[in-house]
Amino acid sequence: MKTPKEIIESYSGRSMRIMEVCGTHTHEIFRCGIRKILPPQVELISGPGCPVCVTPPGYIDSAVELALKHNCMICTFGDLIRVPGSQLSLAGARSQGAKIKAVYTPLDAVEIAAANPQEEVVFLAVGFETTVPSACLAVKHAQMQNLRNFSILGSNKTMPNAYRALGKCADAFLYPGHVHTIIGSGICRELLADGISGVVAGFQADELLTALAVILHHAEAGDEPFFENCYRRIAKDTGNPAAVKLIEEFMTPCDAEWRGLGVIPGSGLKINKTYENFDARCKFNVPECSGTPHAGCRCGEILKGILKPQECPLFGKVCTPVNPVGACMVSHEGSCSAYYQYGR
Amino acid sequence: MCVGLSARVVSVKGGSAVIDASGARRTVSAELLDELEPGDYVMVHAGIAIAKITNSSEEESSQIMEQLDEDAKRDN
Amino acid sequence: MEQQFVTLAHGAGGEQTNELINKVFKAHFANPQFTGDDAAVLEPWSGKIAFSTDGFIVSPWEFPGGNIGKLSICGTVNDLACMGAKPKYMTCAFVIEEGFPLDKLEEIAAAMEKTAAEAGVRIVAGDTKVAGKGQVDNVFITTTGIGEIIPGVRTSGTAARVGDAVIVTGDVGRHGCTILLARDEFGIEADVTSDCAPLWGTVEELFKVTKDIHVIRDATRGGVGTVLYEIAGQSHVGIKIDSKAVPVADGVRGVCGMLGLEPLYLACEGRLVIFAPKSEAEAIVAKLRQLPYSADAAIIGEVIEDPVGKVVVTTEIGAQTMLPPPGGELLPRIC
Repeated sequence: MKTPKEIIESYSGRSMRIMEVCGTHTHEIFRCGIRKILPPQVELISGPGCPVCVTPPGYIDSAVELALKHNCMICTFGDLIRVPGSQLSLAGARSQGAKIKAVYTPLDAVEIAAANPQEEVVFLAVGFETTVPSACLAVKHAQMQNLRNFSILGSNKTMPNAYRALGKCADAFLYPGHVHTIIGSGICRELLADGISGVVAGFQADELLTALAVILHHAEAGDEPFFENCYRRIAKDTGNPAAVKLIEEFMTPCDAEWRGLGVIPGSGLKINKTYENFDARCKFNVPECSGTPHAGCRCGEILKGILKPQECPLFGKVCTPVNPVGACMVSHEGSCSAYYQYGR
Repeated sequence: MCVGLSARVVSVKGGSAVIDASGARRTVSAELLDELEPGDYVMVHAGIAIAKITNSSEEESSQIMEQLDEDAKRDN
Repeated sequence: MEQQFVTLAHGAGGEQTNELINKVFKAHFANPQFTGDDAAVLEPWSGKIAFSTDGFIVSPWEFPGGNIGKLSICGTVNDLACMGAKPKYMTCAFVIEEGFPLDKLEEIAAAMEKTAAEAGVRIVAGDTKVAGKGQVDNVFITTTGIGEIIPGVRTSGTAARVGDAVIVTGDVGRHGCTILLARDEFGIEADVTSDCAPLWGTVEELFKVTKDIHVIRDATRGGVGTVLYEIAGQSHVGIKIDSKAVPVADGVRGVCGMLGLEPLYLACEGRLVIFAPKSEAEAIVAKLRQLPYSADAAIIGEVIEDPVGKVVVTTEIGAQTMLPPPGGELLPRIC
């Protein structure tokens, strides 16, 4: 029996463009050097998987406005702190005196609000289905504690319509295991019916190798389209029903803007009307705005796999991990940052 | 947006659980999982246990590889 | 007894300043050269002099495995030791926040005394300033030290050669991880203590094994990963490390897993990165493993010709990839 690595290295089938749509996949693929063992006709494209990358500059502008104009304490996942807005990043706002705090979980932001009744605490709720339940639980906890000084600034996104929008950019998807841990794999079977192939993959090196081996096995056998769940130990076909129910209770689907990709209908989630007291946009009257990305930035084409990071005129010159221009350079997992740091 | 951590459940109380990952311990929410018990392994993301882990990645990988092997033999 | 605090009067240069110096600093730093004159007067020696200074701010000021006093001695002692210099004399300058408890200041001085004694270095001059509440965070310390270089020793960041072995003297990232946990911002607990230690004794033993050591650098802020990039750049070489060979304590690994951090980029305060000819490496590691602060020493890689200025990692799947270069603020990540 061949090992996954042997299957990958000995692959002799047609050329394959495989898109990973999760930043953590991108990161691990680079960290363990998986690209280096792929045969030349197999290409891995880093899709829009990192929610930091797809967060539009206008969202950061809103967070900065809440921090500087409304004096809110902003609690956020560390990833967002260096993301450029139109003028300022949150790190920039912090150097001007804004209260910006990195937290491990939104539930900690609720605790911070409870412990500091004089502060208005706003949690920046970004992320895909994996992360949405944590934001919903935060609102639930704040409501149970009757906290009036906690709200969230939402920019949550959902994958299914993004898969459809990007379906033509790749021959197969590496579906992010933790998104499907929440929503299950039913959607992948629907996509299969639409002719879109992919496998659900875990995040460790061995799991990624196994998933890639499965894709190449199907490609070699000429199966078209195909789907497999290679992460059944965690991502059950039915997902996590309690999490799905929670999301439905607190959030409603909406159209969402993806940095670089534009608006994808039905690809976002916003807080339900019932809970709008916890929506920072309502509470502080901060309307959505698109902001202005840097003119030369080619993030959009990079996210779609049309351009390689090195083909962007800003890459490595104006735009580096220390001074990121586009969001793909900001997160460790952004394609540009990964290419810059790991080469190739 | 998927940094997940597999961790062992040390104790469960109400809606929360103390988990241990290579000696790092933290209280996380257990509200999204039923019947969690000490000794179970869970996947944790952003302070929430989002799934019980039923077997190891090695086990799953070898099951998948065996399946591929059978497929390949059948096709030949 | 009522708790006493440092006040602005302690820094005003009058009687209370003298009281502070006598009760806290002279009591702990007593030695023949610590006279209280405007400058210490020292006898010269025949060999070369190594001379270094470092400022210390750490929040919280005390942490499992040490406090800012111990840290401020170790930092300068280790900088001197890396140049093959026996630390001889040090000075220390304190900036203390008004309201800092006197007994805590004494704890800091006691830690400095103990650490200096272990390293065989004398504190011969000092300065104390008191800053208003909120102007500094508890206590800042700057130490400066001079040391006598062992004859025949010529370590330098530019001296790594292709074929050298790369050795670390213990598990990486402990100090950074300890401080992160001590700040308690992420609700995580782990049994991790700082590796903060004075390493002159370690270096002295090392040079008894061989004088043919090309580079010694202590991995402080920025961790071992930053040192590897520094040396690759300064020596115009490439460095290849084996990810599986890098020692990481369990607790550190767990915390890094939770927060998405890389242990190679977490600070150390008691770890050296050593570049020496491969032929000497085994003997060096064998000696290090007998010593108190380097029981987990390991060869983690080697110096290669290409790519110049870069660090290559052999990963768990056997592929070779680049270690991401150090950059910016360490932020926990979720994605």
